[in-house]
Amino acid sequence: MIVADRVTVAARGIFSQIRSARRTAVQIASASLLLVALPFLFRLDGRVHADWLQFLGRFHPLLLHLPIGLIVLVPLLEIAGAKRPALREAADFVLGAALALALSTLALGYMLAYGAGDSGTTVSRHMWGAIVLCIGLMLCVSARPAWISRKQPAIYPVLLTASLLALIWTGHEGGAITHGTGYLTRYMPRRLGTLFGAGSSSGAPADSFYTQHIHQVFEAKCVACHGEGTAKASLRLDSFNYVMHGGKDGAVVVPGQPEASMLLARVELSPGDPHFMPAEGRTPLTSDEVSWIRAWIKAGASSTALSIPGGSIEGARTQSPANPPIQPVEDYSRLKPEIQRMQSALGAKLVPVSANASDGLILRTVDVASTFKDSDLAQFRKFAPYIVEAELARTAITDASFDTLKTFTHLRALHLEGTSITGSRLGTLSALTQLNYLNLSGTRVTTQSIVPLKSMSQLHHLYLFNTPAQPVEAATRNAQ
Amino acid sequence: MKQHPLCTDCDPDIDLTHLPLPDGLKREWTSAVTRRQFLGRSGKVLGWAALASLVGDFALRGRASIADAKSPITSPGRNTLGIPHFAPKAKRAIYLFMSGGPPQLDMLDYKPNLASQFNKDMPNSVRGNQQLTGMTAGQSRFPIAPSHWGFKQYGQTGTWVSDLLPYTGRMVDDLTIIKSTNTDAINHEPAIMFINTGNMNPGKPCLGSWLSYGLGSMNDNLPTFIVLQTKTNPKENNQPVSSRLWSSGFLSSEYAGVGLRSGGDPVLYLADPNGVDREVRRKMLDAVEEINRQTLADVGDPETNARIAQYEMAFRMQASVPELTDLSKEPQSTWDLYGPDAKEPGTFAYNCLMARRMAERDVRFVQVYKRGWDVHGDVVGVLPLLCQETDRACYALITDLKRRGLLDDTLVVWAGEFGRTVYSQGGLSKDNYGRDHHPRCYTTWMVGGGARPGITYGETDDYSYNVVKDPVHVRNFNATILACLGIDHNKLTYEFQGLDQRLTGPQPAYVIKGLLA
Repeated sequence: MIVADRVTVAARGIFSQIRSARRTAVQIASASLLLVALPFLFRLDGRVHADWLQFLGRFHPLLLHLPIGLIVLVPLLEIAGAKRPALREAADFVLGAALALALSTLALGYMLAYGAGDSGTTVSRHMWGAIVLCIGLMLCVSARPAWISRKQPAIYPVLLTASLLALIWTGHEGGAITHGTGYLTRYMPRRLGTLFGAGSSSGAPADSFYTQHIHQVFEAKCVACHGEGTAKASLRLDSFNYVMHGGKDGAVVVPGQPEASMLLARVELSPGDPHFMPAEGRTPLTSDEVSWIRAWIKAGASSTALSIPGGSIEGARTQSPANPPIQPVEDYSRLKPEIQRMQSALGAKLVPVSANASDGLILRTVDVASTFKDSDLAQFRKFAPYIVEAELARTAITDASFDTLKTFTHLRALHLEGTSITGSRLGTLSALTQLNYLNLSGTRVTTQSIVPLKSMSQLHHLYLFNTPAQPVEAATRNAQ
Repeated sequence: MKQHPLCTDCDPDIDLTHLPLPDGLKREWTSAVTRRQFLGRSGKVLGWAALASLVGDFALRGRASIADAKSPITSPGRNTLGIPHFAPKAKRAIYLFMSGGPPQLDMLDYKPNLASQFNKDMPNSVRGNQQLTGMTAGQSRFPIAPSHWGFKQYGQTGTWVSDLLPYTGRMVDDLTIIKSTNTDAINHEPAIMFINTGNMNPGKPCLGSWLSYGLGSMNDNLPTFIVLQTKTNPKENNQPVSSRLWSSGFLSSEYAGVGLRSGGDPVLYLADPNGVDREVRRKMLDAVEEINRQTLADVGDPETNARIAQYEMAFRMQASVPELTDLSKEPQSTWDLYGPDAKEPGTFAYNCLMARRMAERDVRFVQVYKRGWDVHGDVVGVLPLLCQETDRACYALITDLKRRGLLDDTLVVWAGEFGRTVYSQGGLSKDNYGRDHHPRCYTTWMVGGGARPGITYGETDDYSYNVVKDPVHVRNFNATILACLGIDHNKLTYEFQGLDQRLTGPQPAYVIKGLLA
């Protein structure tokens, strides 16, 4: 006899008994026994069975949300029923409906797992969770009249709470089958993650290319079916050793030979191919991810290598400690019309450093250098906090401009080469704490006048070529 | 419809829709007219956008630079390129292109073990199944030719440099030397096209054009992308370089490289003829522009836009180029640094000095071509000439940029299209040999804004034949150059022939982080 029939017959039997209000402990026990016996009668042996089982079974993910909603509704109705008795009356019906739907969902789920040949710890946890849930609901149904008549005030609430917990556990395990185990914790803030003990171990050094990139791809795209919970084709990809061990068809990664590696071959098939991975319409690997895996295999599929030729990944580099983080400037977007007016009036431009507004603006005067005067520069005062670089080379500015320049508080680079500044006001620049580059080439600054600059610890690049202050050996002072 | 004077029998009232033609064809013709009208209308819009870009409009710059006919139709949502994508280390770049394929074994890729293997056959396992050029494929044996020159260690990094390059040796602590550059092509034309445009076939924009298109101009009075050719030395084996290499491909031709002549007037016919002063010229250009704008409105060809822009650029260059090429104000220290060659227009040293002057004037991209590196034979005779012409000049350029504070935001790249073989082409004797093309590995270097100073990246095997560590494919090399200039190579694209075209081509390319500072 086929599974569906057995289960539905059993369910119908139980249900009719419940409705007939002749509940006895014996009947509940026999129904529970039937449910518990189910996995032993039809073992989840990892083999694929009749197609129609899968056809029906695939309605499991569709149906399962109904009983969840109803089960959660029951305690709400019971609590609200304290004030509005009509609701408590409804709870009886909802509980019954929830049980009926839970049993059908269980039946479909079992057909799905049995038909598709799913196995593994997550699947069996999900299954046992569902069985416990159904038994719990049956017990709830039987215990409820006693609670309503206040003969047994404690048993029903305890059973209902237990059923809810079973529901959460079952739902979570079911989600893990579909989305993979790390689905909830993947984007969890790191501190929270360590609290929960999340983040699986890759079985390789934490800073290795494997852990940093390849493992992440497997975690996101593969372990839902090839992991601790579900190991389809006996293949697990949740740690380095398992990856190299392979599955029932042998090794899936052949170090140094991307062409011979089945793992790569499967993800590179066309998505319509029956052997294409990830199967069943799950998110395919991106072309970048495929190329990282290819590069990693080609370079020997090492668990320890820190970098792979051709496998560099955008954004993977961390800020080097030698370059302290630069202070971002505020968004200047709202000033754009004004910046534009300024430009057409003066010919000097304010150019964005990059598409990112916090990178600031460059003051560029090259088109109008010979006519760009102190008074012109003074007009840029209102943009002072946004200007990170001032290109004033060969302009007509004089020492008077230092009063303007000291208001450019976010200035990182200042070009004054070929101007007529004398150097007497260079001390003013010490107000610019971000200034890293100063070019005074071709000016009249002297060894004396640059003394105040020595106290500026951030100023790593000072250029004095063709000035009286030029050192004999080199024209640059470089802190590194 | 106007009647042709020689036509005697045609009906003046003839209408397309009355002709005995298939309906499909009529529909097509009708829609063709519509398309023309549409282009005509969009052309007017574009004309104004171009005008706005000429006055250096900040807000319109992004929009204007993509304002060519295709963009409003194919990508209506895009109104700015949003470039640089991230804060760049380099604002500008100078590319010293060594056309012909410099022999890495005699310059920077030191292989001391080869000396003992003189005239021995290269093991077949090293070559594998590689297909050779027609020039050596017929050779019965592949005798190893160790370098004729000694190598010494230089700088704090202790980098080995050939005795042919004493000046390069002085700056090794600043250089990022890449020994593992490799390419797909084994012959000059496809290889030089590949490294310049990312594709072996002509027709794609080159690096300079992409930069021009993506980053725009810094100095409105000079072209954004300038090409300098070094005059040839007849003793060297000069392979042709052509304007295909600095073509803008499918991008508007405003983004093409502007070649400055190596002798005489740097730009022909730039000076006004006698009796024409600047005001007359201005009036003439204004009139031409008006006519061009009408054409643009009627036809809607984006190239008309490019033409308008080029006329304006030429007008501004009448003033800026003489100032650029006037070396009379260079201090004596310049001549001490670059050497006497630099006084002679067209030499590599002169071009390096010009490149520095252009960088100083904020020209975005300068590409200097030096031909003659194709040393199939007589390496011992020719290579010293090539090194004499370039070694000191390269050093002078880097040093000059460095002391003037320009190297912080200028990237300098030194590269050819491929390397040369370890085995001798033709006869190998005690004191001479030749080297054939070799794409599997060759040496390049970069220095300045964005590049990590004082490192040697990548390793080759004992024969400098295969890369054994950290390969840098030409596509990745180009992606890395773009990264120094604040560009994500995957995002700088242009829709053409149904593809989002990019410099690095459709295959994935990567920024080599190890090369970046």
